[in-house]
Amino acid sequence: MTVLRRWRTWAWVLPAVVLLLVFVYYPIADNLRLSLFSWNAFSPEPRFVGLDNYAEAFGDPVFWRALGNNAAYAVVSLVFQGGLSLVLAALLEELVGRRTRGLLRTLYFIPAAMSITVVGVLFSFLYNPRYGLLNEALNGLGLGHLARAWLGEEGSAIWSVIAMSQWQSVGYTAVLFVVAIQRIPREYYEAAKVDGGGPVRTFFSITLPMVREMTTLVVILTISGAFLVFNEVMVMTAGGPDNSSQVLGTWLYRKAFMEDDMGYAATVATVIFVITFAIAAGQLAVSRRRRYDS
Amino acid sequence: MNTHRWTALLLGTALVTAGCGGGSAGAPAKADLSAPKDKSGTLTMVTKFADPKYAPYFEKVVAAYKAANPKVDIKLEQVGDQPYKDKIRVLTASKDLPDIYFSWAGDFANKFVRAGLAADLTGVIGPDTPWGSTFAPAALKAFQYNGKYYGMPVDLDGKYLAYNKAVFTKAGVRVPKTFEELLSACDTLKSGGVQPIAFGNQYGWAAIHFITQLNAYDVAPKTLETDYAPATGAFTDPGYVTALKQFGDLVSRCGTKDANGLSHETAQAQFLSGKAAMHYLESVEFDVLDKSELDWSFLRLPAPAGAPGDTNALTGAPDGFLVNGQSKNAGLAVDFLKFLSSKENAATMTKDIGWLSPVKDSATSANSYPQLTDALQDIGEAGSFAIWLDTITNAEVAGAYLSGVEGMLSGSRAPEQVMAGVQKAAAKAKKEVG
Repeated sequence: MTVLRRWRTWAWVLPAVVLLLVFVYYPIADNLRLSLFSWNAFSPEPRFVGLDNYAEAFGDPVFWRALGNNAAYAVVSLVFQGGLSLVLAALLEELVGRRTRGLLRTLYFIPAAMSITVVGVLFSFLYNPRYGLLNEALNGLGLGHLARAWLGEEGSAIWSVIAMSQWQSVGYTAVLFVVAIQRIPREYYEAAKVDGGGPVRTFFSITLPMVREMTTLVVILTISGAFLVFNEVMVMTAGGPDNSSQVLGTWLYRKAFMEDDMGYAATVATVIFVITFAIAAGQLAVSRRRRYDS
Repeated sequence: MNTHRWTALLLGTALVTAGCGGGSAGAPAKADLSAPKDKSGTLTMVTKFADPKYAPYFEKVVAAYKAANPKVDIKLEQVGDQPYKDKIRVLTASKDLPDIYFSWAGDFANKFVRAGLAADLTGVIGPDTPWGSTFAPAALKAFQYNGKYYGMPVDLDGKYLAYNKAVFTKAGVRVPKTFEELLSACDTLKSGGVQPIAFGNQYGWAAIHFITQLNAYDVAPKTLETDYAPATGAFTDPGYVTALKQFGDLVSRCGTKDANGLSHETAQAQFLSGKAAMHYLESVEFDVLDKSELDWSFLRLPAPAGAPGDTNALTGAPDGFLVNGQSKNAGLAVDFLKFLSSKENAATMTKDIGWLSPVKDSATSANSYPQLTDALQDIGEAGSFAIWLDTITNAEVAGAYLSGVEGMLSGSRAPEQVMAGVQKAAAKAKKEVG
C-alpha cells in the first residue's frame, strides 16, 4: 500500500520535475559551459577558451559600468518603491477620504498596467530635447539652463530611464502596501489615538512594523527586478550613448546579437544568475531566521 | 521556502536562455540553384523593409509572383532596420535562417559566406551570365567575396548632403566645394540663425556614415582595405584620427550638441520644415524630400583640401539579398529573385518607392524625378563605393566605432581614445578570425 502511494506521488511530481530539468537546470548548466567557449551564431565550432571570457568581462570597463547602473537602479528603486510607496500607501489609507482614495489608487496603479514598450516610447517623447514636454516645462519655469538631451547625454541617460521606471512601479508597490495596511487590525490605531499618538508616530510604531513581511517581499522584488532590467533601457537608449546607460541585460544582448560574441554574453548571463541567486538565497536565510525568531 | 528557491532559479533562467542557442554548422554551401521544373513549395524571406513607405512594394511583388505561380507560397517577413541586425543573428543561431534574406554589403554579408550560409550564386548571377549581365557590374561586385558572387543587389544607395536651396540663397551661401568651405558655410548659416546640418545620432550609425566618407578621404585605399578586413585590421594609420577630428569640427560648427538624443527621423523633420539648411541622407530616402514642398538639391560631403585618400569615393553600397546556402528551395529562391529584379519590377520600385535599381536602364524620366536621375549619374561617376563602416568591418570593430564616436559627441572621448578602442577591437577580431 505504501509503495503504491509512493509511486502515485512520484507520478504526480514527475512532469514538473522533468520540465524543471529541461527548462531550468539544463539551460543553467549549459550556459555555464558555453561561457567557457569563444563562439557565435556563425562559427562552425565553439573554441574552448577556459576562463578568458571572465577575465575579459572583469577587465572591461563597460561591464563594470553596467553592473554599477544595475546597482544604481536597485538603490533608487528601493528608495522609491520600498520607501515612498509605503508612505504613499499610509497616506492613502489614513488621511484621504474613502471615495478619493479609490480614485487615487486607480490613478497610481494605471502606469503599472501599461506595456513597458509603450511607456518607453512615451517617455522618449517626453525627454526629446527639441519638442519634449520636460524641456518645455523647464523653459517655461525659467529653468532653461537645466534643459538637456536627457537620453542623449552620458550624465543623464541612465537616470532618466530609472526615473521612468519609478513612475511606472511606485503605484504597483503602493497597492501592495495598501493591502498589507488593510490587514492591520484597526484596534491598534484606535489604541494609539487614545494614547495621544500623532500620525507620524503611528506610522513608525504601528504601520511600519506590521507590514514587515510585505516590505521584505517588495525589497526582494525591486532588487532582483533591478538586476534583470532590460526592456526599459533597450527601448529608450539601447545602452547608449557610448554605453553609458548599459545594464547587464542590454550588454549581454549587445554582445550576443550585435557583436557576435556569444561566449562573452553567456559569461554576463552567468554573472546575472549568480547575483540574482545570491539575493534570493539571502532573502531565504533572512526569512527563515525571522520565522524561528517569532 | 522552496517556492523562493524556484523563483530564484527561474529568474536566472529567463536570462540564461537568452544567451543560448547552438552554433550553426559551417558545411560548405552546395545549394541546388537550377530552376525547378515544377514551381511549387514554400519560400521564406526576411527583409529589413518594414517601413510603411517601402514594405508595400515587396508585398506587391510577392503577391504578383504567387499569382503567376499558384503552387508557390512565399512567407514574407519584414522587420525594421535596427531590429533586423539582431533578428537575423537569432534566426542564424536557432538554425531558422530563411531561404532568402536581406544583407548589407561588406563583412556583414561575408560572415554568412564564411559560415556556409550564403549560396554561391556565381553560376547564375556572375557578370557573364544572362541574369548577371542585367546588373551594373559595380553593384554585383559589392557582394563579391574571394572572387565569387553571393548576393543579388536590390538597390543602389549613395550618401549625400541634401540642401535647401531657398535657405542657401537667403543666407548668401554658395554650394561648398571643399570640406573647409562647408565649415565656413556653416558659420554663415549659424550666424543667420539657421541650423546648418540637421543631425540625429540616437543609434550611432548616422555619425558612422560621416566617418565612413571621411575615412575614405583621409586614408589610402590600400590601407583601408587591409584594415577593414577582420584578419588584417590594425587601424594605426594617422588618417583615422584626422577623420575623427574633422568630424568633431563638423559637429561643433555645423551640428548641434543634442545629436545623441535625436533620432535621424527627427533631424530629417527639421530639414523638411526648413529649420535646418542641410541633412546627410541616403539616396533611398530622397523620395521623402521629393514628396515635400522643399526646393532642394544635393552634393557629396566635400573632401578636405589635400586629402590623401580617394576623393572620388562615395559612401554607400547596394543592399542585397542572399540565398540560404542550406536551403532546399534554393532553385526556387533564385527564380523568385530573378522575378524581383526583372526590368519591369525594378522600374516599378523606382516609381513606387523612389529607389535607384542596379538593374540597367530601369530608371527613366517617366519613373523618376530629376534629383534621382542626377544621383544615378553621380553614383556611376564615383570611383568606388565606401561601404558603410558599421557593416564592412567586423561587428566588434563596428561596435567600438559606434560607441566611441557617441562618446566623442558627448565630449567624453578624444579622437585618439576612440581609435585606441577600435584598435583593441580589431586585435580581438584578428585573433578570432585568424
